Amino acid sequence: MAGEIRPDWWGKTSAGAILGLGLALSLTGLYAYLGPGGIDAPGGRYSLMRFLEAFVWITVFGFCFLFRSGRAAWAWLGAANLIAFAALFACRFHFFA
Amino acid sequence: MIRSDIVRLYKTVHTWTGISCGFALFIAFYAGALTMFKEPIARWASPPAVGVAAVPLDDAPRLLELVAAAHPQAREEGIKLHLRGHENEPARVTWEEDAPHEEGQPHDHVHWWATLKPDGTLLAQPEEPSELADFINEIHMSVGIPQAAGLPLMGLVSLLYGVALIAGVIVLLPTLVKDFFALRVGKNLKRMWLDAHNVVGITALPFHLVMAITAIALCWKGELWSAQEVAIFGDRQAILMDRDNGPFEVPKPTGEAAAMMAPAQLLRKLEEQVPDLQPSFLVFKNYGDTAAAVRVPGAERGHVGDTHLGGVMLSAVTGDVLKDGALPSRQDPDRRAAETLYGLHTGQYEGLTIKWAYFFLGLAGAWLFYTGNLLWIETRRKKARDGGAVEQSRSTRLLGSATVGVCLGCVAGLSLSIVAAKWLHGRVADLNHWHAVVYYVVFLGSIAWAFARGAARSAVHLLCLSAAATMAIPLTTLTALLFPALGMWAHGSAATLGVDVVAFMGALCFAWMAVATLRRTRHGPADSVWSIRKPGQASALSTPVPADA
Repeated sequence: MAGEIRPDWWGKTSAGAILGLGLALSLTGLYAYLGPGGIDAPGGRYSLMRFLEAFVWITVFGFCFLFRSGRAAWAWLGAANLIAFAALFACRFHFFA
Repeated sequence: MIRSDIVRLYKTVHTWTGISCGFALFIAFYAGALTMFKEPIARWASPPAVGVAAVPLDDAPRLLELVAAAHPQAREEGIKLHLRGHENEPARVTWEEDAPHEEGQPHDHVHWWATLKPDGTLLAQPEEPSELADFINEIHMSVGIPQAAGLPLMGLVSLLYGVALIAGVIVLLPTLVKDFFALRVGKNLKRMWLDAHNVVGITALPFHLVMAITAIALCWKGELWSAQEVAIFGDRQAILMDRDNGPFEVPKPTGEAAAMMAPAQLLRKLEEQVPDLQPSFLVFKNYGDTAAAVRVPGAERGHVGDTHLGGVMLSAVTGDVLKDGALPSRQDPDRRAAETLYGLHTGQYEGLTIKWAYFFLGLAGAWLFYTGNLLWIETRRKKARDGGAVEQSRSTRLLGSATVGVCLGCVAGLSLSIVAAKWLHGRVADLNHWHAVVYYVVFLGSIAWAFARGAARSAVHLLCLSAAATMAIPLTTLTALLFPALGMWAHGSAATLGVDVVAFMGALCFAWMAVATLRRTRHGPADSVWSIRKPGQASALSTPVPADA
């Protein structure tokens, strides 16, 4: 990594809060559809989802200040969100056609 | 090696997330530590009652039959049969009925208990149990703000708290080895507090991470439900929720009558089929019906788990296990993971040892946020220059006052709210309401006092108040014992005596802190917000005394 890391408080905080939640929901959603047993897995998976979402959200939010700038945080996390949500919606249409 | 610019950045993140959440987290952790002994506190606060022993287990079938016949709503909602003989079990059976409902008001419940008179007839009475323990739990969950606003707020606080944890670890990492094994007690007070803050934070890190994660999930239950509905499930979430609730769903009544198995025999059947489950109580649903069921919550030996909702469901006719999907040892892996996380939040595993560990971890957590604020203040403290008097800035003075008022107001308020359980019993119409009144008066009064008198003076006053309020808990029990005419009570069980003993020791700790603080306000550096002396003024003693905490 070259160059000083920029604080960009508003850019990074908003990226962590918003895109962190997006990534939390999409990744947890993917686990709900594609985890062992799939969407018809025994009931307990549903109880677990909120904990997984909280875990991903905190992790993304906590580490997003490592991005070089607010712009970089939005770009990388935005791209990750796009991919994860694309996969999630593909699952939704596949399983709930 | 972590670059210094990253460390600097995260120091800012840690400071601001910490400062903005510190107060709420202190209250949540202090009250949370008390909820570890929710059960003993509820027992301590419960007035003497008929009790479980008045109806031996062998006579329970007759009592259940009479209640089911006379109270159809109890039959439907579930009749709770108590087993343990604790002071907060007013009689062998209890249940809830809907209170008369007014349009636009929240639904309310009336609590009933029932026992057998000597002639074998039914004695059933509505009586509200002490909700003191629930009140403490409410303060823990939403820091005293009405839940509609308090829970979302605490969700946000928990999220920032999680970020603060990650940031704190990143800041500490480069010097972890050097700093972690060093508690530098000495002249540099700030250094000592920082070392102590780091040691407590790092050793309890797993505990704090679990708390942050689970608290977000618990506080934002509704919000995350809506988000899941939109993003993940479309409108099909209900199907999964039904499946999730499966293990708790009661079979529909058939309307045909059947002979019920006696509770004593049900417990024997339970022992045969699920030997490791220790039942807390039994809940009979649709008593007398062929599809009648018994919910048996309780702890399962060797497992983390929900001791309130979990357990098994038996047929009340045959005693066979109907559902065991919520039993820790028989759960699917996802439910096991979810319930383990929940159990890790609530300290529901392996009995008393973990409860004590959580009690101290909770108090240490509260202390962590208190010291965090202190460090912020110390960092901003302007050092007195040679001869020149230095005034502390407004922000440090205000944060000092707020820290003292909020934290100690919460401590004193909770103690006095507990004390009120005995003094106000039978003297006010709605005691449960008064628990809240006492708490808020003390809490808000303490904050006002802290701002009026400044951090240094009020810290001593409020620590004395906290010590006195906490000491009042065992003194109340002692008074009840010495003066029975006052109409108070002193239970003799180990659990309730434990409440008195712990309160006694807590009061001594607060008193010791009051003395230490008093010393510092008199002899510590005069330019500190913790001093009552004007900068430049000489120490009250002729020889300077090194400041100690």
